[in-house]
Amino acid sequence: MLDYMIYILAFAVGSILGLLYSYKQHGEPFVADSKLNVLALVGAIVGWCLAFNAGNVVLSAIGFLLGGFVMGERPGYGRKETAIGLLLAVVLYFLLNLTV
Amino acid sequence: MNLMAEIIIQVIIAFLAGSLLLGLHRKIMARVQKRPGPPIVQHLIHSLKFFFKETAIPKTVSKVFYIGIVFILALIWIVGVIVGPVAHGSLLILFGVYAVYKIVEHNSGSSSGSPYGKLSCVRAVLSAATELPLFAAIVFVYLVTGTMNIGEIIVYQSVHGPLIFTVPLAALMFFMLIITKSPYSPFAITKDKVLISGFETEHFGFLRGFMNFSEAIAWYVMLWVFLTIFFGPLNAVGYLIGMIVITFITGFINATTPIFSPNHSVMTQITIGAICFFGTAIMIFTGVVA
Repeated sequence: MLDYMIYILAFAVGSILGLLYSYKQHGEPFVADSKLNVLALVGAIVGWCLAFNAGNVVLSAIGFLLGGFVMGERPGYGRKETAIGLLLAVVLYFLLNLTV
Repeated sequence: MNLMAEIIIQVIIAFLAGSLLLGLHRKIMARVQKRPGPPIVQHLIHSLKFFFKETAIPKTVSKVFYIGIVFILALIWIVGVIVGPVAHGSLLILFGVYAVYKIVEHNSGSSSGSPYGKLSCVRAVLSAATELPLFAAIVFVYLVTGTMNIGEIIVYQSVHGPLIFTVPLAALMFFMLIITKSPYSPFAITKDKVLISGFETEHFGFLRGFMNFSEAIAWYVMLWVFLTIFFGPLNAVGYLIGMIVITFITGFINATTPIFSPNHSVMTQITIGAICFFGTAIMIFTGVVA
């Protein structure tokens, strides 16, 4: 169970850091339809792909930290990036684990 | 692994997962109501924040009870984690945890000296209607599986399939408890906004922090027990998906349903509980359930 605790801790810490960073970057009122941030997109894709597919506690924890960082951004930001990252990670998981 | 380390790890997981799920619950409710809603991590941040806030103690409180009750609340849910995810122990002890939780709700309200807390305390007695269907659900699980031990129930399901397909109405009774205990539930008469925050109204600072800590663990334990005794042996991903799905369902229900008045709440719970009770009893005694 120690590995699950590390993952969930990494995700929570990443979310809090993402929220703090996001509020520093965006002080404006709520934006319902934010633009796609390339850096956040890369973070989300790398993060979620590592989290689900690394097969290693440290790399997966880094993945959850990155994924949590983007997902935890202030409301309105990081949503599309997270959705794309999660989708690619799940597809990669099935590609790597499906045996025909 | 060392038992103590296992308990600490499971309690930390329960607190973090429970907090994130409750944050998700708020987010879903907000999105259903077309609001942006707080970040998912907000419930966790709130809980941590309260531990560093000034703790004011009102003059009207019964001090020993007022302070002691939050520690008892945290303790009973830690017991819930030990009996459930750690030891796979008896369902009866978990029922005991819910019974004590009811007493804690009651005493937390009455010890505060606040009229809101006291009214919440009275409603806590009324809402015992929640725990009765839970007891009935546990009895039916016992009648079908022949055991109260969670570990043995898991083994039974790995052989005979998930109990949700065998005793669906008993699962519905348990699900009623989950809806009742979820935030902003139509049945949450003890935390009706008419009573500000109900029995929690007069608890500030680190005392409230302990209450949030317990709420998060309670949500996790409740979902864990429900998934374990009705959906058979699950792995970590199964639990994660199950907990998120149930949080989604309760979020949708709570976002679209106004809170009932106490008499409507109790009567609705008792009616649904009675239908499920007699339905399951008929299924068992007529041989529909093998």
